[in-house]
Order: sequence, then C-alpha cells, then structure tokens
Amino acid sequence: MAVSTPTRSAVRPAPRAGGPRRSVDRPNWAAGALSLVWLAVVGFPLLLLVIWSLTDRRDYQRNGPLALPDGIAWANISQVFEARFGTYMLNTFTVTAGSILLTLALALPAAYAIVRSRSWAASLSFRMFLLGLAIPAQAVIVPVYLIITRLELYDTLRAVILPTVAFNLPLVVLILSGSLRDVSRELYEAMTVDGAGPFRIFWKLVLPMSRGSISTVGIFVGLNAWNGFIFPLILTQDLNNRVVALGLWHYQGQYAVNVPGLMMAVLLSTLPIFLLYLFARRWLIAGLAGVGGK
Amino acid sequence: MTNPLMSRRSLLGLAGLGAGAAVLGTAGCGGSSGPQGDDSKALIDIWCLQDPVQNRVQQAAVDRFNAGDAADAKLSTFINDAYQQKLGVAMGSEQRPDVFFNWGGGSIREYVRGDLLVDLTPTLDADAAFKGRFLPAVLEAGKIGAQYYGVPLRGMQPIILYYNKEVLGRVGAQPPTTWAETLTLVDRLKAESITPFALAGTQPWTLLMWIEYLADRIGGPAVFQRIADGDKTGWSDPAMIKALNEITALVDRGGFGTNWASVNYEAGGAGTIFAQGKAAMHLMGSWEYTNQVDQQPEFAQNGLGWTTFPVYEGGAGDPKAIVGNPTNYFSITKSSANVADATAFLKQEMASDAYVDDWIKAGDVPPITGLESRLSASPSPEFSAFVYGMVRDAPSFQLSWDQAVDQKYRDPMLTNLQKLFLGELDANGFASAMAAL
Amino acid sequence: MTPGAGGDRAPRPGAVYVLPAALFFAFFAVLPLVLVALLSFTEWTGIGDPRFIGTDNWTRLAGDPLVLTSTRTTLLLMLFAWAAQTALALPLGVWAAGRQRNRAVLSAIFFLPLLLSSAAIALMWKSMLDPNFGVAAVVGPWIGVPDGNLIGTPRGALICIIITVTWQFVPFHTLLYQGAARNIPAVLYDAARMDGANRWQSFLRVTLPQLRNTIVTSSVLMLVGSLTYFETILLLTGGGPGDSTYVLPFLMYQAAFERSEMGYAAAIATGLVLLGTLLSLAIVRFSGFSRMRSTLEGM
Repeated sequence: MAVSTPTRSAVRPAPRAGGPRRSVDRPNWAAGALSLVWLAVVGFPLLLLVIWSLTDRRDYQRNGPLALPDGIAWANISQVFEARFGTYMLNTFTVTAGSILLTLALALPAAYAIVRSRSWAASLSFRMFLLGLAIPAQAVIVPVYLIITRLELYDTLRAVILPTVAFNLPLVVLILSGSLRDVSRELYEAMTVDGAGPFRIFWKLVLPMSRGSISTVGIFVGLNAWNGFIFPLILTQDLNNRVVALGLWHYQGQYAVNVPGLMMAVLLSTLPIFLLYLFARRWLIAGLAGVGGK
Repeated sequence: MTNPLMSRRSLLGLAGLGAGAAVLGTAGCGGSSGPQGDDSKALIDIWCLQDPVQNRVQQAAVDRFNAGDAADAKLSTFINDAYQQKLGVAMGSEQRPDVFFNWGGGSIREYVRGDLLVDLTPTLDADAAFKGRFLPAVLEAGKIGAQYYGVPLRGMQPIILYYNKEVLGRVGAQPPTTWAETLTLVDRLKAESITPFALAGTQPWTLLMWIEYLADRIGGPAVFQRIADGDKTGWSDPAMIKALNEITALVDRGGFGTNWASVNYEAGGAGTIFAQGKAAMHLMGSWEYTNQVDQQPEFAQNGLGWTTFPVYEGGAGDPKAIVGNPTNYFSITKSSANVADATAFLKQEMASDAYVDDWIKAGDVPPITGLESRLSASPSPEFSAFVYGMVRDAPSFQLSWDQAVDQKYRDPMLTNLQKLFLGELDANGFASAMAAL
Repeated sequence: MTPGAGGDRAPRPGAVYVLPAALFFAFFAVLPLVLVALLSFTEWTGIGDPRFIGTDNWTRLAGDPLVLTSTRTTLLLMLFAWAAQTALALPLGVWAAGRQRNRAVLSAIFFLPLLLSSAAIALMWKSMLDPNFGVAAVVGPWIGVPDGNLIGTPRGALICIIITVTWQFVPFHTLLYQGAARNIPAVLYDAARMDGANRWQSFLRVTLPQLRNTIVTSSVLMLVGSLTYFETILLLTGGGPGDSTYVLPFLMYQAAFERSEMGYAAAIATGLVLLGTLLSLAIVRFSGFSRMRSTLEGM
C-alpha cells in the first residue's frame, strides 16, 4: 500500500507542462554513490525473495540464507496453489476490478459536476472531499465495521470494496476535476451547438477528455485495492472471501517452518502487478507520480 | 500444519482476528444456523470447527446417532478463524446452536455468566458409568467454578519436554528430572555452545508454558486457579513470585541462548534449530511431535525424545501434574429446544468405542479411561502411549493460562510475561503490573 | 470555488451528478468519523447496542500507561521514519530526475518495492530477520550483534520497523521528488552556475528552495501515512518484544478486535484523529502550505 494515504498533494499547483529542463547534466558523484548503495538496499532483499522462493525447504534450512538453490524447487508453486492461492487471487481480482469500476462510476460524474455545475451541492461536496483527504481509514475502522455489519455485508467481498472506494474517492475526485479544468470553454460551446444536454456532454466530451487521468486514478485505486490489508482483515473471515494480502499472513502459520513456500506466495501475489510494471512501466509510474507529484 | 496447532494458534489470536473478536448482530452469517426439521424428529444443530480429520470423526458419530429413532443431528462447520466470532454473534442473538465446540475456560466463561449454557453436573453425576469413562483431570479442566459445562470431544494436548537424543548423548547427559539437574545441564550445554532450550520468543504464548509448569510445580494448581477465578492479588502469591524469579534466573543463566527473542515459532522456527541440534531441548505442546514427523521425519524417527517437566525440589505441586490444552469440549445451550436429545447425543457418542477408535486412528489420544491396549492402533503408538499415561496419571491438568483467563487479560498477560523474560520486569514488577489491570 | 469560467452557454450538470459520490463518501467516511467520536463515550462489546457511559473511556485513556508508551512510540516512529525517508528520497529523486539512460534503468529497479503490499514486505523482512535462518545471522556479526538478535530487543525492533517502512515507502517519495525536480527551470541552474556556484551550492540555493512545496507534501504524506505502519507492526513484531513497538493504531486494533472493547478503541481512535489533524495543521502552518491551498480553492 505504497500510496494508500490520501493526500493534499493533488491540491498543488498545476504542473508547468513541458517546462524547460536542465540544459546540461554534469555527473553527480555524491548522488550517484548514494544511488548505488540504495540499489543494493532495494535489490538485495528482492533478490533473496526470488532465490528463497525457488529453494527447497530443507536446503534452505541446511544451507543458510545466502546459498543458491541446488535446483529449482517448483514444488513450492504447487504447494502455494494447493493452499487455495487461486481462490485468493480471484477474490483479489474481484475486489480490485470492483473498486476501480465503482470509484470511476462515482467520481467521474462528480468531477464533471464540481467543475461545471453551479449548484451549491457541487461546491459543498468539493469542500467535503477536500477535508475528507485527511480522514485516515485506520482511525475509523471501528465504525466502518459497525456500518458494514449493520448492512449485513460482513464477510463478503462487497464489504471490502465499499470502504476501499470511499477512502479513495476524495483524491480521485480531485485529480479528475483538476484535469477537467483544463478542458477549454470552446469545446463545451461546440457541444452546445450540436444541441447536446449535460449527459451527452458528459459522455461525448468529458469522458474522452479524461482518458489520461482515468488511467492515473485507475492505477492508484487498483494498487490500493490489490494490496489493501486492513479492510479485508477486519471485514472478512471466511476462507472463500480471503484476499491475497491477508492470505499471505495466514500462510505464515500454515507453512510452519516453510519459509520458501511463504516467499513463493509473496512473489506470486506480486506477479500480476509486476507484469503490469514490466509491460507498462511508464504508464504505471506516470499514474503514481500523477497522484502525488504534479 | 497440524490441526491441534491450528486451533491453538487461533485461540491465541495469532491467526487473524482470532479469539473473541465479537461481532454485532449480523444475522445469517456463517453456515446454517437454526434447526429446520421437516418431520416430527427434532433436529440438533451441532457447531464444530471446519477440519477434514475432525469432521470425519464427528460426522461418523452423527450418522450413528441419526440411525436411531430419538432425533436427528446435523454438523455445521466453521473455519477456525471465524469460529469464535460466529459463536459470539450467535450467542448474542436468539439463533444459538444446540451443541457447540469450545475450548473450555475463558472461551465459555462469559456464556456461563450470562446463564446461556446447560449445567451438565447433574447429568454426569446421575450416570457414574458415563462420567467414569473420562479421565478425571481432563473432565475437571472443563469446569467453570464447581460445575461441568462441557463433555470432552477429542484428543489431549499436554505440554511435553522434548529433547534431542543425539545432542544430549554428545554431552553425556540424561534429560533432566529435577530443576537442579536442569540448571546443571544448562551450564553444561552452554559450555558446549549449544542452546539449552529452543524458545520462540517472538510468540509470547511459547513463554507461557514455562511459567505454567513452574508455578504448578512450586505451588500446585491452586495458585493459578485463584487468578483464573478473578483474584488478581494471586499474582503476588509467594509461589508465583518464586516461579517468576526462577524464570528470570533461567533466562539470565542462558537457558534459552541469547537470541531467543528474535526466534519465530512459525517460519524459521524453534522446532528447526532443535531438530538440527543447535538447541538441545524444547518445551512444547504434543502437536510438536506431529510437526516434527511432518517437517523432519528422520529426526522424529531417530533423534526425538520426550519426557515430563522436571520436579521442583521442595515444591508443593505434584510432579505428575500437567499443563496445556486438556481437550476441546461440547457444551449445550440452555435455550435449545432439544436439550434432552442433545444430552442423549453426547452420552451415546462421546465415549463410544467407535468414536474413540476413530480418534486413535487419526493420531489423537482421547481422554478416555482404559485405552492402554487400544492405542496400538495409533499411527505413533509409542508417543500416544506416553501422552496417554501422562494424562491418566496426572492429578490435575491446568488449562493454558491464555485460554483460562478472561479475554481482556490475555494480551496484557502475554506482554508482561515477555517483559519478564526480557528482564524489563522483575517478579514483583510483573505481579503488580498484572494486579493493576 | 467558482465552477469553470462563467462565460459559455453550454448546459450545466445538476446536483444529481455529484450526489452519488458525495453521499457515498459521507456514509462510509464522514459518518464513521462522527461515529467514532460518539462511540468513545459508550461501552460496547460488539454484540448488541452500545451503552452510553459518559467519559469513562477517556478517563481510562488518560490513566492507561500503555497509551502513554504507545503515543511515545508512535511519535518516535513518525519522526525517525520521516527523517530516514526524506534523507533518502530527496537526493534520490533529484538524482533520478536526470534523463541519463543508466538513471532510468536504476530508477526502474528502485520503484519495485512500490509493487508489493505491506503484508508481503513485512513477511519478507520477518524472514530476513530470523536470527538462525535469515540474513540477520550473516549481517548481525558485521554490525556488532553476533547472535543475530536484531528484532528481539526493544530498540532493535523499533529500528527494524523503521528500516522496513523506509524500504517500503522511499520509492513513492522518490517519485514525488523526481517529478518536482524535473519541473525546476533549467535557467535557475544556469544562473547559479554563472554566479560560480558548485553543484552542492546550487543544490542548496536552487534545488532545495524549489522543492519546498514537495517537501511539505511528502512530509504530510509520511506523517499521516505513518498510521499505515500498523500493518507492518502487526505482522513484523506484533507489538513486541514486550510493549516496545506498540503504536496507537495497534493498541486500538487490539482493544477493538481482540478484547472486544469497542468503546475504548473508539476513544483511542478519536485521539488518533485529533493527533493527526494537529500535526497536519502544524506542518501546514509552519510551512505556509495554506497559501497554496487557498490558491487552489480560488481556481
């Protein structure tokens, strides 16, 4: 949950798009050295994660933490899947997809209204979302639990999706409305000439113009939902409703002394996001940077 | 992963929300609650943990019972992590099960206080033959106050002192039988750079076994019973203070090596360093045997020895007394429409030969009298016979403290105990911290 | 806030467009905020209905030594994690802002921890910190802990948590700084160079002042985000050894979901909300961040 916390960052001034870059980059030894140290700090645990997950359990116990595996222990993979990993993955997919879709379905019209509506409701909502950025999910988990149980949603995947969406909404609305502000008046005018009503404008103009920011917030919400821990922890119980992040914790006990099996589960839980990163790194990074950095 | 361990872990709240996370009135969550008889026969709803081995044995009992004319029984199973929550919800509502699985002690004390459970004392007293089928120490451990609320339903899990035969052989030592021998052996092993006792200090429940045994050996079971019954001044009982001091002394002496506070029970594990001979002994529940068979079969076959906790010289406790998880119990709810049928089910099945044999074949040792000759059917007859003899001869079987005390004292007790082991609290500091709760 | 600019004649969307999102958010986020405050004045086990008990929870909170310990640890953790993350993320971000190929490749690796969940990261570090089978057995002796007992001492456990969260969150903040550093106009560096500034001086005179807003953003994020350390602590140390890594969210979790003291947990949570709000306000006031916000609200 690297970017789980709602922030005020979207409130920062718009970027100076295409601003001038530093003309010449001189070598920077100090930062370069730091970067190499950091490479080791980041890379070493990840390398171990991969090595361990492919090591046979007995070899791992015998040969110490830094040994290379004698052979690749593919059995670790089947072991993870025997422990219902497939179900957990499927649940996580459902939660992630559901969260992204519901967030967009709620936030896109809201952003449109916030930018274009003259109703007091829009302006009040905008203020609420601004203040809502500071509500930490961790601190209000007890009443969220109360609400979910009273709705009789306890121990369902919907119980995870609903609060996940709610706590992502403020930032998503701010990002989307921020990008909509860049849509020029002339374009709206042009739609009017065609005799379009608000819904047609939303459909034909607002949605296409938001494509870039939709992918930004989609990534943001998706990553939060995929890696989310506290809502599944508190709001679900049954094995059949377990998501991967929570499943990892339980594997810890299930595998007793099987560190390689646990590491394989950790690795596999990250695999879908890693593949996304591999093939769409620029997109993913731009998405994350777009959330916090602009 | 063995089943006993799973149930133990969740009790300790390590596996998820675990014990006691109470829920609001969520109607309709969990399996199928509420009887739904379709003919004149009553339907008894029995709640159990979901577990392939356990459920097979229990289902067989239900099938035998249903073959009779009295009533029909039906199992509703729940996964371990969810069980206490679901039970809490059900007990708070009007849709309670007729019969339910529990751990005795703190897991049902609230329900007893709320007058929700059937007092089984008259039933047991009226049928001496039935009562006599259960090992007394185990039956006693299921008492709340002076009354019985549970009938034992499965095997026993006493805490056992395991030792590595090869390591003790190498230093020319026998497993310790007295506390003095224990301390001498600690020094000897330390001189050989061997950790005397493996201890998974990151999991505070592993520390609990030490104080449970020492307090029992030094002062007898009454010392802790007073605390379980709610008298917090019991923590400064002289016997308790003495036991706490022995812990501090053992830690300082190097009884657990130096890095025990970083060791995990899971993932990495105390069990592995013990099997590898980096540690000579391990005080752990009977499930540790199954774990070693699963994880280190060669060691379990040739190198694993087991014995009882040493005698404490001059202690008031009986050296045959044991601590751990006596068993799990079935209790009956008072609001059930089928109390008589539910009682009949327990009386017919819980001590029946077929039921007991099923458990033995599954590797469990049920708390039933006269099993000596039948244990040869167990997958590990030698170990099963040891466990059986240990409990049969025990004058008392202390339920693990974390299960015996009220849930709200569990975490602080474990935290303070960890502090005692770390040397942040001394015996008196521990006692006053516990009394202040 | 005035929506858009007023001039065009295009039809305007009505309140119906914003209401679903607004009501949804109000129900699942704002209402809980109100409820948590209300619940703090009740006794409630999670079963049945909460019972009003006045200020008992708050009295208990004020006298609970564990609350004091946890608050101290929470603040310590916040402070050290903030210092460690900023000290790393800022220079790394500035460095990564360069367009050289090798920087791009290294950056791609630097961002990998972003992909892992807190649970995955905590479990990975937990395995590494095992004194017998983990890296702690190898690294311990280098740093004066020959028995690898890194996470088993109160101070060690706290340092282990700081290292873990730093490892986890530095990539995100690096990203923030990278983005901001790329937006610094090159003319500023050119001017500094003409004044004879060396690299260090231009870092001090140009880069740092230009990153000021990002430093504030990133710091607020880290401080508010330190509440999520709860997950790491739950998985890595469980609050131990003893109570040395108890933080307020962990204390609240235990009260609510292990001891069923929902009312008391709500009191802790309310305290947490107050603490977070105060800290954010303090940072905003200190740094003049509020000016920026009002700029935006005027948009």
